[in-house]
Amino acid sequence: MEEVVLRLEGATYRHSVYAPLPLKPWRRIKGPGIFETNLTLQKGTILGLVGPNGAGKTTLLRVLAGILPVQHGRVYSGNEEVVLDRQQLRQSVGHMPEQVRWQGRKTVRQALLELGEMRHASEKRIDGILKLVGLSSRKDSALSELSQGMRQRLTLAVALLGSPKILLLDEPLNGLDPVGAAAFISLLKTLTEKGVSIVLSSHQVEGLAGIIDRLALMHRGHILAEGTLKEVAKGLHLDSKTEIKGTGQVPHFSNYEIQDEDVEIEIQDNHWTARLEQAQPHLLAKLINDGVEITEWGIRQPNVVEMLCAATGQSIEDVGLEVASNAYVPLRTFGGEEE
Amino acid sequence: MSDFNRVMKLARRLTLERMFSTRMYIMLPVLLLFIPGMAWGFSDPNIVLPGGHQPESAMEVLFYASLGVVFGATMCAVLLSYDAVSRERASGVLELRLSQPMPRAHQSLAMILGSWKAILIPTWILLIISVFIVRYRMGEWISFADFLVYFSSTALILLWYILFTLLASSYTREQGTAISFGVGMWFLFTFLWALITTMVAFASGVSIGQENDASWIMLEGALDLLSPNGVYHHLLETRLPQIDRGIVAWQSWFMGLLWTVLPSWAFIRRMEKILP
Repeated sequence: MEEVVLRLEGATYRHSVYAPLPLKPWRRIKGPGIFETNLTLQKGTILGLVGPNGAGKTTLLRVLAGILPVQHGRVYSGNEEVVLDRQQLRQSVGHMPEQVRWQGRKTVRQALLELGEMRHASEKRIDGILKLVGLSSRKDSALSELSQGMRQRLTLAVALLGSPKILLLDEPLNGLDPVGAAAFISLLKTLTEKGVSIVLSSHQVEGLAGIIDRLALMHRGHILAEGTLKEVAKGLHLDSKTEIKGTGQVPHFSNYEIQDEDVEIEIQDNHWTARLEQAQPHLLAKLINDGVEITEWGIRQPNVVEMLCAATGQSIEDVGLEVASNAYVPLRTFGGEEE
Repeated sequence: MSDFNRVMKLARRLTLERMFSTRMYIMLPVLLLFIPGMAWGFSDPNIVLPGGHQPESAMEVLFYASLGVVFGATMCAVLLSYDAVSRERASGVLELRLSQPMPRAHQSLAMILGSWKAILIPTWILLIISVFIVRYRMGEWISFADFLVYFSSTALILLWYILFTLLASSYTREQGTAISFGVGMWFLFTFLWALITTMVAFASGVSIGQENDASWIMLEGALDLLSPNGVYHHLLETRLPQIDRGIVAWQSWFMGLLWTVLPSWAFIRRMEKILP
């Protein structure tokens, strides 16, 4: 059994939002946030946190970072029944918020030294971290002179200051060039080998499957599914698909006892791609015997977007770019609803 | 390293950052003109103040020169610290700070001390220069007790303005709002307070405009306890026996304590609850 480093049990945090009334202009009510969240972080693993905009990913990360208090529920350390307060959480967690806009005449090293003061980080440690994130050549550059990618690296350096057991990364790949992103992912792998647990929230779900060990799908403040990719897919009843690529005439799949609704075909120039809902073990042999030109054949696992759509009941066609409204009612209600 | 040392080290970094900032270089000539400049002017042996009055002692000259602190140094305090929280909040750096294990109360304390020292050190240096100017022009030193009261009162008024501005900065999301609050507050206490005093006097039936009217002086003295500038002058007046505005020394120091403790408490409490 994997060693658990942190457990959230029924953790709730709801943002306070203005809801003025004519005679009560200062009135605030409890709004969106995270609701009765249960989450287990295992040692040396990367947990991907995925959800639509406004799902509560950043709020969850802030709760884990000890920035926001847990209004209901508890945070436990490891497998033990030790309840952590926010101060203890901050001790063991390194937090990398989304898009920190470093600015000013202060140098990279000065900025790190200042924040390092809060974690008792020595100058030697700071120089080591600068080297680790690839900023040692820019340590004397003013913050205003940094590119977006360099700012991301600096924010990561701050998160690594206290040699944290848990690293929380909110959209860490934003602004990184492809080479930088690859180096960043390689660094994350190295950290996990050293036993650091990572929670990674990202919208860039395309390459996420190759990075993460576990996946948590969030929607409207709830974790809808959590586990390894296979576990999540299985829990959502998503089967792997057969993907066939070929050239020339597209075969009639109905001739091979496959219903039309179970096949999705894309044609581009002389090339075609067919995705079949279920695995078809003998289909390849039949197609080749019939002279169909096959260039690629593979079993494709459901991707993260499909899992998210299955978990939330949304579809790309229905939702489009629409952001989920904040004015929703929580999926589950509990006592002390408003005010 | 103890918590105290950590707070002091962090405060030192913040002080250096602000003290050598561009805006300090811009404000320094203003401070130079206001503080030693006023000390030079008021220590002129031939000076005759409105009402035909002539300063009698070095402390009295420095009391008049304290207008430089009220007009110049307090404004610099506001301009130095208005974005201490709001800028970091807007840029996301505040979220990084709040995720550090250092208690928020300690972080707030470091922020207060850092911003305060950034204006206090240059102001004190200019006050020391002023003391030498007065000695040069009048041939008289201020006593050690005068020196202590003068320097500690100046430190206190700067601290109060820093606290108000930090508090405003922590509540506002836009830096423009923070600076508007700071400058507005400075304007209220520096220029508009006389108007408020006059209005209260009128409402209380005290004859306005009679400068030597005892009830007017007493009322003005009492109302000044509600203004940081007023308390500052009350504190300085504790070393000027010829001035009696109906407020005894302990009342001035007690109000000084309240003006220090209440905004500090409010700011620390605010920072403990602040959201990034």
